[in-house]
Amino acid sequence: MSLRRVGILLSKEFRHGSKSFIFIIAIVMPLVLSFVLSMVFGTLFSEKPKLGVSDEGDSQITQMVIQSDSIIGREYDSADALRNAVEDGAVDMGIVLPADFDNLVIQGEMAEITAYVWGESLAKNRVVLGATVANMIRDVAGQEVPVEIATTTLGDAESIPWNNRLLPLIVLMAIVFGGIMVPATSLVDEKQKRTLSALAITPASLGEIFLSKGLVGVIVSTVMGVLILVLNQAFGAQTPLLIGMLVLGAVMASTFGIMLGVFAKDVTSLFATNKAIGILYYAPAFVYMFPDIPQWIGRIFPTYYVVQPVVEISQQGGTWSDVALEAFILIGLILIMIGIVGILARRTAQREALA
Amino acid sequence: MSWPIIRALVTKDLTLFFRNRFFAFISVLGIVAYVVVYFLMPASVDEELDIGLYAPVLPPIFEQLQGDGLSIETVDSVDTLKDGVTEGRFLSGVVLPEDIMEKLAAGDKVTVDVYFASDTPEELKDAVTNLIQELAYIQSGQILAVDISEEIIGPDMLGMQIPPRDRMIPFFAIFLILTETLGLSSLISEEIEGRTAQALLITPMTVNGLFLAKGITGVTLAFGQALLFIAITGGLNQQPLIILLTLLLGAILVTGIGFLLASAGKDLMSVMAWGLPAIIILAVPAFGVMFPGTVSDWVKVIPSYYLVDTVHLSANFGFSWGDIWQNLLILLGFDIAFVLLGIIVLRRKLT
Repeated sequence: MSLRRVGILLSKEFRHGSKSFIFIIAIVMPLVLSFVLSMVFGTLFSEKPKLGVSDEGDSQITQMVIQSDSIIGREYDSADALRNAVEDGAVDMGIVLPADFDNLVIQGEMAEITAYVWGESLAKNRVVLGATVANMIRDVAGQEVPVEIATTTLGDAESIPWNNRLLPLIVLMAIVFGGIMVPATSLVDEKQKRTLSALAITPASLGEIFLSKGLVGVIVSTVMGVLILVLNQAFGAQTPLLIGMLVLGAVMASTFGIMLGVFAKDVTSLFATNKAIGILYYAPAFVYMFPDIPQWIGRIFPTYYVVQPVVEISQQGGTWSDVALEAFILIGLILIMIGIVGILARRTAQREALA
Repeated sequence: MSWPIIRALVTKDLTLFFRNRFFAFISVLGIVAYVVVYFLMPASVDEELDIGLYAPVLPPIFEQLQGDGLSIETVDSVDTLKDGVTEGRFLSGVVLPEDIMEKLAAGDKVTVDVYFASDTPEELKDAVTNLIQELAYIQSGQILAVDISEEIIGPDMLGMQIPPRDRMIPFFAIFLILTETLGLSSLISEEIEGRTAQALLITPMTVNGLFLAKGITGVTLAFGQALLFIAITGGLNQQPLIILLTLLLGAILVTGIGFLLASAGKDLMSVMAWGLPAIIILAVPAFGVMFPGTVSDWVKVIPSYYLVDTVHLSANFGFSWGDIWQNLLILLGFDIAFVLLGIIVLRRKLT
């Protein structure tokens, strides 16, 4: 194994590979997905009921709805716009407040509200929104609350907000896509263009070729993982440990990418493989997203041992002792994969020699 | 146009597809993976707030409010209540004092103890607090001087909500169809790159025959996979004919788009480069079904909207021909437009 040759091959990969479609997608896609998932899905997956208001006057209720922490409040310009929003399911319920609503309520006179309810809204959301609106109206009317509520918290489990639940998925996408697809497509491309056979008759060994391609995947994948954590303000305090775990994850993804690249005979087969097993890469992140699913299911998937330490370190302030077990399992998986790649490299070399 | 030649070409493409054991296995595995994910997802929707209640004296309002979003279970001790909360059986545990009715009648303030599990989100704590306050207002006779006229928009799904996994059916089915855009375009691109398409055209095979053969192959693969998935997951339980026709029209649509992609790319990689953004755009309407209210009316300019919307409405709401004929007509229009456009552009590239 010549490090000089690996270096030359690596620089070639960066010079030519960086112009490829997959290379660009590996960089752009995690950034776009991070933005979309954080900004849009963070709200979508929220369990807060959504209430729309169309205010024909200047009611205090509108501001109370918008500023409420327990519901998602939105204001609409007209009753028609509100009705459309309810019809589309953008809000669970929409209320139309008449022009002099607050005065009527304060004076104790009967006020009228039109409420649109989305047919697919959950019963519990309807109850919560009904009670919340009623409480706000009573607040405006100046009615005194007849109860004092003393809240006690039991247990020590933590509520995980949706933005945090999505982080494993975003991190996995950053690490896995680049780590797998960059080396895999590069290898398949070389096979299809027969440049791999040409390279095999130079002093460069297949091991060196695989290593250089794998390193490109590791570098792209690690850089994207770090970038995504920084963008999501989730870098935590244990920077060297976190980067170490990201590198291990990137190594695993790239080794798997090399395996895929060796097995797939063309780009179509490679994409078909990803279509079929792609969901398995991200399965631990989906399990993490929904606490109702037994969490042990996540441990079945190898990528769990990438994402769990990252989440533990970045979100729960975990240290080496907290993630050591997962790290050792991950290293074990990587060694097994490297062993398989070694065997594949030997078999491919023999095949190329015969050819 | 010679039908035996077309049949031979279709048979050749399909045989090649299935003879490649790896490719065939992977395609089947894809469907299996989607089916497994479907069956792993919850089959029902929990519509109710489960509240545990310890009340030596039960105010009538708590009895009246049972159902329609609230499930109130009375327990015989505070300890049982706390256990229920920590075990997750109750979202919250409410302890009403013995003298609640007397105090409310006298206009005195009542203290209510409420227990939450530590991982209960703040919004749910606020929701329960608001709910208890409102019940107390009503029980104490403080009337809300507001007349609310309520209108349910759309079919009222109370008690029969669509489980998330059934919302995913159109998404998965459409995704299987859409990915065949890449399959077909790469199939054609391979023939162009390997110059076998040009070789075919010097045989009795005509350009129209070639398109028809490739089109039949594309439609068969896309339609077959989506049909298999939707049949296994029970998506054909309602309005099967409408769904079958919609999937077929969807398969024709992706075939037309596949022709366009094959003509746009100069090799397999560039076909993929054009194909992925196309698939992402075509998948947007499916997100609108999974997350209602996230996409506005502009989504209707995307042809796949009419495919997704029709499958969703028919499979999940049982909409009939009379309700969705416009969708089918528009989808057919898009089919004709894309297939013709694809053929014209690809013919220019071939000849």
